[in-house]
Amino acid sequence: MIRVRNLKKEFRVHRKEPGLIASIRSLFVREHIVKHALKGVSFEVGEGEILGLVGANGAGKTTLVKILSGIIHPSGGEVSVLDHDPWKREDDFRSRIALIMGQKAQLWWDLPAADCFLLLKEIYRIPDGQYRDTLANLCDMLKVSGEINFQIRRLSLGERMKMELIAALLHRPRVVFLDEPTIGLDLSAQRAIRDFLLQYREEHKPAMILTSHYMEDIERLCERILIIRDGEFVYDGALDRVVRHYANHKILTAHLKRWPEEERAAAVARLQGEVLEAGRDQVRVKVDREDVTRCAQQLLSEWPVVDLNIEEVDIGTVIERIFNEKGKVPA
Amino acid sequence: MNARLFALVFSLEARKLMSYRVDFWLNSVIGFAAHFSIVYFLWQAIFSESGSELIRGWSFEMMLLYYVLVILAGKLVRGAEHLGDIATDIYEGGLTRYIIYPTSYLAFKYAQHLGNVVPALVQLVLFATLYVLLLPMPEEAAITPASIAMAAVSIGLGNLLFYSFMAPLQSVAYWADNVWSLNVMFRFSSNLLGGAMLPLTLFPEWGQRVLDFLPFKHLYYVPVSVLIGTMGPAEWLRSLGVGLVWLLVIHLVFRAVWNRGKFVYTGVGI
Ligand SMILES: Nc1ncnc2c1ncn2[C@@H]1O[C@H](COP(=O)(O)OP(=O)(O)O)[C@@H](O)[C@H]1O
Ligand SMILES: [Mg+2]
Repeated sequence: MIRVRNLKKEFRVHRKEPGLIASIRSLFVREHIVKHALKGVSFEVGEGEILGLVGANGAGKTTLVKILSGIIHPSGGEVSVLDHDPWKREDDFRSRIALIMGQKAQLWWDLPAADCFLLLKEIYRIPDGQYRDTLANLCDMLKVSGEINFQIRRLSLGERMKMELIAALLHRPRVVFLDEPTIGLDLSAQRAIRDFLLQYREEHKPAMILTSHYMEDIERLCERILIIRDGEFVYDGALDRVVRHYANHKILTAHLKRWPEEERAAAVARLQGEVLEAGRDQVRVKVDREDVTRCAQQLLSEWPVVDLNIEEVDIGTVIERIFNEKGKVPA
Repeated sequence: MNARLFALVFSLEARKLMSYRVDFWLNSVIGFAAHFSIVYFLWQAIFSESGSELIRGWSFEMMLLYYVLVILAGKLVRGAEHLGDIATDIYEGGLTRYIIYPTSYLAFKYAQHLGNVVPALVQLVLFATLYVLLLPMPEEAAITPASIAMAAVSIGLGNLLFYSFMAPLQSVAYWADNVWSLNVMFRFSSNLLGGAMLPLTLFPEWGQRVLDFLPFKHLYYVPVSVLIGTMGPAEWLRSLGVGLVWLLVIHLVFRAVWNRGKFVYTGVGI
């Protein structure tokens, strides 16, 4: 449903030194710097797929979403969404997509949500029956039926975001772009939105592209991720695989009863794996996946363990490592 | 944009404005009173200084009537004075939603612009009634059903012209960070050349001839003059033609500006 080939975007930015003289000079000569926000990226997204787009700030995620939704003109390459060129902004295209931005309200700030929805009903020409059903259903799922008569500006951030979601999905779009939809929300609102998106996918099988800084969003919603760094993709594939590749170890944490210092030092020396911490009442060891059971057994038999905890490396940490590394992720 | 959507945008805007009740009354009553007293005392001084009953054919009462109608009809012509919204939408990124939604941004804005005419119409009726009740109607004024109809057409044209002027000015926001000074310049020159500051017959003869070929007089001077009968049907028809040509020209300029602007828009704010 989404096909992108060698997509490029350059921004020309004026460089202006601070100060009055520089301002006056800039009236006559302007220095441009060209910023390469996307350096020729290619990918596809199919029906019912939620693609996670992850990358550091300024990596080019929003730029990509803006091009796919027709807001900005690409500098090069091919883009096809629902067999349309987004830049042409044809009504047939626009009535089948949706864009949700956590950073920016789309709805009319000083209208009640109910009026915003009515406007959208007319904009998308949604038939009465379908409108009533969809609206009731969406409000019910997000539990916001009570707030629908308040002005958008009077809603809390979480409520507003839910209204934005409802507004974006009223016309049952086939392609949905979500740019940091859960930013700044509390955990329960984040969870509600995630469940909601999963259910929407279940029922309507749209193609979705999601960017988020909350790894939990990515973990729960996406099977496939794209990692973007400085305008280039460094990974395109299953989330599992990248985790397995980078997180090939686990961390064991044991809480201890007190025992003599010298005994502990000797035990530490015998321990398998990399000891991260060996304190008076806690020890933390990083071990390869295959060695987890052996290490755990060793801890339990040799150490005065009160409680043992085995954790996966956090996906956020893994992804962050990829952001900061050079080169691509090996396939 | 379909008619139902247009009507909905229009009515939402009108209702929103009327719901700011305090603002609505303060703005209209105090604004009107201030404007009216300036005009009243200024022209009273001028007339008593000159010692004559008529200045270039205008009596004091007729002059007052002209200004009152300019104030009231001017609001109908200007509609949403804050067409500044367009510039704000461009540099704060509010335009993005209309790019995403399958609708026309400009039609949407025009519907809102018209929505602003409703409160102005309420004010017009109210203050015009008060005027008729409290102040003497000058004998030379000839307000007839026919003159009202012609004035209505001219006000419609003025409203479209005003929108068509403001929209390209606002679109400069695609390239510049601040279009406020352009707005001020436009407001000043359109008030002066359009007859909001002075009836245009007070200008020298050659100036009036130049103004005949400019679009500004259709904003204030033509609608009011035709209403009070100082402009006859023949002259009105001729001026209407000029106004329509200008409307077309400005519109074409605007299209060109807007289409170039699209490429510069970066949807800031996300
Ligand atoms: N309107 C713009 N003008 C100039 N540069 C921009 C503009 N928008 C984005 N950029 C630059 O493009 C790069 C990618 O930005 P963006 O896509 O917003 O990143 P993110 O991944 O955080 O969403 C950044 O270096 C940013 O500074
Ligand atoms: Mg971003």
